[in-house]
Amino acid sequence: MPLFQVRDLHYYYPESEKPALKGINISVEEGEFVLVTGGSGSGKSTLARALAGLVPDFYGGVFRGEVLFRGRNIRCMDRRKLYRHVGMVFQDPEKQLVKTEAEAEIAFGLENLGLPQQEMFRRVAEVMDFLDLKETKGRFVDKLSGGQKQKIALASVLAMQPEAIILDEPTSQLDPASAEELLNLIKRLNEEMGKTIVLVEQRLERCFHMADRVAIMKDGELTIEGTPRDVAAKSIACGIHFIPPVTRFFTEMGFSRIPITVKEGRRILKENIPQQDSDAEPIQSTDFSKSKQIDNGCCPDPASLMRPDFDRNAGAILELKNVWFSYKDKENVLQEINLEIFPGEFLAILGANGAGKSTLLKIMSGLLVPDRGRVLFCGNECGKKREVYRCGKVAYLSQNPNDYLFQDTVEQELCFTLKNFGIPDGGRIDRILDKLDLKQHKNKNPRDLSSGERQRVALASVLVIEPVLVLLDEPTRGMDYGLKAALGTCLAELDGKKLSIVMVTHDVEFAAEHAKRVIILHDGKIASDGPAEHVLGNSIYYSTQMARMCKGFARNILTVEDAIKRLGPVLTQNRQAFTERGSG
Amino acid sequence: MEELFYREKDLFLQKLHPTAAMVFICVLMVLSLIFTNPLYLAGLFLCTGFLIRELQGLKSWEFFLKAGLLMTIPVMIINPLVSKAGATVLLRGPRLPAFGEIDISMEAIFYGAVMSLRLLDVMSVFCLYNIMLHPDKTLNMLERFAFKSTLVLSLATRMFPAMLRRLENIREIQAVRGVDFEKGTFKEVLDKYMNLIYILLLSSLEDSMEIAEAMQARAFGSGRRTCYIRIPFKPRDFICTAAGIAALFAGIFGAVKGYGTMVFYPYLGHLISREDILLLLFLHMMLLIPVFMSWGWRRCRYFR
Repeated sequence: MPLFQVRDLHYYYPESEKPALKGINISVEEGEFVLVTGGSGSGKSTLARALAGLVPDFYGGVFRGEVLFRGRNIRCMDRRKLYRHVGMVFQDPEKQLVKTEAEAEIAFGLENLGLPQQEMFRRVAEVMDFLDLKETKGRFVDKLSGGQKQKIALASVLAMQPEAIILDEPTSQLDPASAEELLNLIKRLNEEMGKTIVLVEQRLERCFHMADRVAIMKDGELTIEGTPRDVAAKSIACGIHFIPPVTRFFTEMGFSRIPITVKEGRRILKENIPQQDSDAEPIQSTDFSKSKQIDNGCCPDPASLMRPDFDRNAGAILELKNVWFSYKDKENVLQEINLEIFPGEFLAILGANGAGKSTLLKIMSGLLVPDRGRVLFCGNECGKKREVYRCGKVAYLSQNPNDYLFQDTVEQELCFTLKNFGIPDGGRIDRILDKLDLKQHKNKNPRDLSSGERQRVALASVLVIEPVLVLLDEPTRGMDYGLKAALGTCLAELDGKKLSIVMVTHDVEFAAEHAKRVIILHDGKIASDGPAEHVLGNSIYYSTQMARMCKGFARNILTVEDAIKRLGPVLTQNRQAFTERGSG
Repeated sequence: MEELFYREKDLFLQKLHPTAAMVFICVLMVLSLIFTNPLYLAGLFLCTGFLIRELQGLKSWEFFLKAGLLMTIPVMIINPLVSKAGATVLLRGPRLPAFGEIDISMEAIFYGAVMSLRLLDVMSVFCLYNIMLHPDKTLNMLERFAFKSTLVLSLATRMFPAMLRRLENIREIQAVRGVDFEKGTFKEVLDKYMNLIYILLLSSLEDSMEIAEAMQARAFGSGRRTCYIRIPFKPRDFICTAAGIAALFAGIFGAVKGYGTMVFYPYLGHLISREDILLLLFLHMMLLIPVFMSWGWRRCRYFR
């Protein structure tokens, strides 16, 4: 008997005429690892909530069909019994922790189950040991990093000893290192403790291979379901891109053997392309490879940062000279930062949490004034009295777009910014709404829009002043593939000759696809600065899945498109020769 | 701002059983409210100050006192203007429509000053509570009686620093969108700040649904709960509780007998008598016991 069985499930959220789930049929066996993926609004989170008994219990709405747990209808089960068997971890660690102290937080679920104190003590101790949370003991939850908070949330569920754990995009708010650590823990829970895992996720490159089964959802329906390899083959045929880059590359190249990990991908490449020495010339010389290689820690050659349409003679828009910054309770958050940003540049800043990325962005915007060093905007010195943002030429989009939205309509939201700077509309509002595909929402309340649309409204509210420098703090946080692609298109349209974009992100794949220059910050210092192909191509950790796979075969490959362009002809040629030899 | 909130510093007074600490803080609060004699109130102020110093919370105290002083200014001004009970008139003013004849008497000024001192006492006790008691431990103690209200308090305690940070983020966002918080009339500046609160409220309301959902997913409200944190009641907790209760009884006894209170109107009464000295000595000896124990705890292992 399967652990979960979903039969013909239909669900409508209250006051919604569009179904969130349409005729879902799926079963999950005991000990299985199921990955559920799909676009924003595809119903994957709703399905996770239905398995956890939260839909419709918590939300209400219209529910038809059955969700069975060990053959029993979840809706008829005693709630306490259900939560003993099924646990759920949510997306945002900030919005699921209740207590002020880590240990008390882990015990919260156990207290709710009414367990005796000795039993609670044992379970909390075991879980803290298993998840290596000893250092959080006695600490305030508020003081922990995002990764630690999410581990506490997982520990709190794990302490309840459920048979199945449902995770709704648990890594979407985490940096790559924390995300990797959490996913490895989830894998261990499945393999070593036999827990059944249902993981809803969009960052597939790290978890696709972990799953026993993958389900892809679209418009509330389960479109593709099967083993990762089957799903990879089917999804390309259906035009769905919810597969990792390595898998996508080989599927698009028409290989019958489809790899799902970098290791497998490299093995196939090795069979088809002779591996190069790391010192050897890359397989095909392009414009990219002509630029100078930059090692970590070395000062880049400014010429190597130039793009073909990049006008260095125009002078830097923003210059940071020997900038140092400390907070009251944290010293040297930024150290010796020297940076120049030129018109038309698209720069991505990567680094671990606490490396000083957001602080650097705030220094650039003028929201923070450096303790030491100078900030020059268009050649003019900025200080306490001459904040950069006051000139109306800099747009800054913070991590949470919701904090921008408070007017009754999208149009008013944009008018608000224009009015504050005393800029007449002159068609600006319509121009920017058109560019960001928001025209149809002009008279809607921005808080009634979806998360991706809200993000675009927030972006429009700062871009309406037609700035020369745009600063974006983690713009792809919590976004699915489709929304990211849409944002990328928006940015590409904005990325004209005069407009410079600086983006702080954890999303290496997004940075690889869109940024021309990349900086890696470590502990407040610039560890690496150079063209994206060099920095990401040579990085051990901040590199894309394609870069890792192609290392040694060809240089400067970051995306699937790069690989198809560069390796595609060689692979096709070698395969043809191999086939001809075989037939001969 | 974060200095204002509880921070674990591994100090004796933070290690007291929450019941003992709560009893002691409640005693200080009650005594601040029943005494009207400025000497008693000044004594309480000093005792609370010593306790705060032992908790390394002088910075936090400074903030509370500044806020308290701001509140005392209207008390000091309005009381002499409206109170006509004092007999020693220092200044005779004009007749005003709502207030009648303005007579500023010495008694009314003195009463205003003493009430301000009492307000500072109360503020200091709040400060002490804030830096001495771990919110989770206090709430765990209270949740046996009123779990849901306690949980709301717990959430508020956890969310408050995060909300302050978020408010600062929203302020920055507004600044980048061209809002100048220093420009404009008082009403305009107020409107700009109200916008910040409005955005915070909107976002917090949206977030609250997610918190509630996460709580339900962890079986919240599924039946009778148990309590994880059980802190043993040690001899030191007993001593501090006993000292607090002794001070409370002495204070109530004194108040019933007429000590610790002062007559203000129409003429100022006596400030101090022989019995007052004895009562003051006893009270402060009791109230300083936790300070001595904290001092000893740092220096002598037998106190640990």
